Amino acid sequence: MDEHYDVIVLGTGLKECIISGLLSVDGKKVLHMDRNGYYGGESASLNMNQLWEKSHGKEKKAPETLGSSRDYNVDLIPKFILSSGLLVKMLLHTDVTRYLDFKVVDGSYVYSSGKINKVPSTDTEALTSSLVGLLDKLPLRKFFIFVQNYEENNPATHDGLNLKITTMDALFKKYGLRENIVDFIGHALALYLDDSYLQQPAHDTIMRMKLYADSLARYSKSPYIYPLYGLGELPQAFARLSAIYGGTYMLNKPIENIVFDEEKKIIKVTSEGETVTCDKIVCDPSYFPNKVQKKGKIIRSICILNGPIPSADKKFESLQIIIPQKQVKRQSDMYVGVMSSAHCVCPKGKYIAIVSATVETNEPEKELAPAYALLGPIQEKFVYISDFIEPIADGTADNVFISKSYDATSHFETTCEDVMDMYKRITGKDLVLTVHPNILKQQEEAGNQEQEEQ
Amino acid sequence: MNPDYHYLFKLLLIGDSGVGKSCLLLRFADDTYSESFISTIGVDFKIRTIELNGKTIKLQIWDTAGQERFRTITSSYYRGAHGIIVVYDVTDKLTFENVRQWLQEIDRFACENVNKLLVGNKSDLVAKKVVDFNTAKAFADSLQIPFLETSAKQSTNVEQAFMTMATEIKNRLTASQPTQTVDKNKVVPGSSAPISPKSGCC
Repeated sequence: MDEHYDVIVLGTGLKECIISGLLSVDGKKVLHMDRNGYYGGESASLNMNQLWEKSHGKEKKAPETLGSSRDYNVDLIPKFILSSGLLVKMLLHTDVTRYLDFKVVDGSYVYSSGKINKVPSTDTEALTSSLVGLLDKLPLRKFFIFVQNYEENNPATHDGLNLKITTMDALFKKYGLRENIVDFIGHALALYLDDSYLQQPAHDTIMRMKLYADSLARYSKSPYIYPLYGLGELPQAFARLSAIYGGTYMLNKPIENIVFDEEKKIIKVTSEGETVTCDKIVCDPSYFPNKVQKKGKIIRSICILNGPIPSADKKFESLQIIIPQKQVKRQSDMYVGVMSSAHCVCPKGKYIAIVSATVETNEPEKELAPAYALLGPIQEKFVYISDFIEPIADGTADNVFISKSYDATSHFETTCEDVMDMYKRITGKDLVLTVHPNILKQQEEAGNQEQEEQ
Repeated sequence: MNPDYHYLFKLLLIGDSGVGKSCLLLRFADDTYSESFISTIGVDFKIRTIELNGKTIKLQIWDTAGQERFRTITSSYYRGAHGIIVVYDVTDKLTFENVRQWLQEIDRFACENVNKLLVGNKSDLVAKKVVDFNTAKAFADSLQIPFLETSAKQSTNVEQAFMTMATEIKNRLTASQPTQTVDKNKVVPGSSAPISPKSGCC
């Protein structure tokens, strides 16, 4: 270990690794440590031995019927990547896509009236879907055209409204959309966790619907992509970026002491008897319990299945199910993400279904019953309840910049927003996401190649 | 898209800090050598295309980015590797003793049938040599791994090391042709078209 760093990053979660990568590219001297012996922290993907040990301790062994441990790469935080979302923009900004392989998620379902319906991915599917009644098709079509045409800076597309003021509820009423359609749009397309958006200005919801449409248009099957070998590849990919630009990585490093030297304006960090100094600390919430506060709980249940889930298309090797709050009399949505060996996250023949929801009662796992009912037989289950934690202060006073926990949403938009906000506070600069020159060059070469072939 | 090669092989370099992994890579890919020890800042991977028995093979050779210094190479680094070159320094006994640990890490994270090559670098430093050729050769033979001593500085056996690895990989892949699967379903973020298939490992 050297003596002084610009930034010491603690915890190798996705947010911390993205920031580590960005700061190293910016020329900062970065030391990145984690008390765990693996990358990813709360956002890791674990093999079966690690997952079993996490829930059962070191005593027992995972049963052999689960298959080879190393075939598993199980996400602790289940999310999908929107194909046109902020995380993709960050990957393209940093050229970190070179370390990763992705596949499109096969489909998305929404729970309605006691069963799941495929979220339409084509016009034909939309016309025939039972999600939309006959009387709703025309108003919905008008609304979709409005959303498609809406341009923030072009008043002619605003239909006489100011969407920075008009609530989403009012906009839905103006287009004559009924409650079940509103539910579908708000939760299956705009991907809101709850209904608080209805009383907010409509602009954000419209932008989210556009993001969904853009993401869906990119590959057609669903709006989501997902990396081979699980989401744990993402923090590792950004960590490599940091290392390429000089970042130093150390795992299995418990932090014994952190001292703030008011006089010299530096921070002293001690691990295993060695002390190093830095100007700033970036970390996940677990490293400073006194500087964070709890804001609710999230339950995640990792279920190992022996086959595809019975209620969905059996050919689907990956899928999402959205269970909107009203459908099961909750205050917020429940999500199921299903993956299989096609994404190299489990042995052939197995499927992994991960249910996640914000905790609303004293019996969190009972809340998941509607989701469990969709899965068919569950061979093994790993249930975790985590606090959702936020920093108390923004870090500018003490130079400790703490990320928020991962929320219950099914995507990474809030994750990336937190990263961008932290980056601004740490560096004083906005993170402007552009496409990396390497990628522009590749796209140009690919374009030229296609020209030659025609 | 029609690739201008028959095979794309992903090769990794691993081994202790300072044994000359980056020097080997730069010598093979760019035919350059640098005396200064910069712990691999900026080197991600290098590509060189070779001809082997009438086949064009594109070698994509990855360096550790300095993450081996504190043994924090990611499991992701090993994904899809066709061949792994384990490097030690013939003038530093400890780096040879640590080869065993690097081989354990390969077993833990890489594909089971990945090709391996043992390389003892800095063979030009004859007076300082402490790892005997025969000792290393016997060790490699006991594990059925090809072995070479190299000097990145003198450009000794560097070409042979990478050609040996490429040959071993190609022989393995052609021998197991029926089990080889091409994954056509991958997508590239930021573009809409499916990418051209590339040979898989697992």
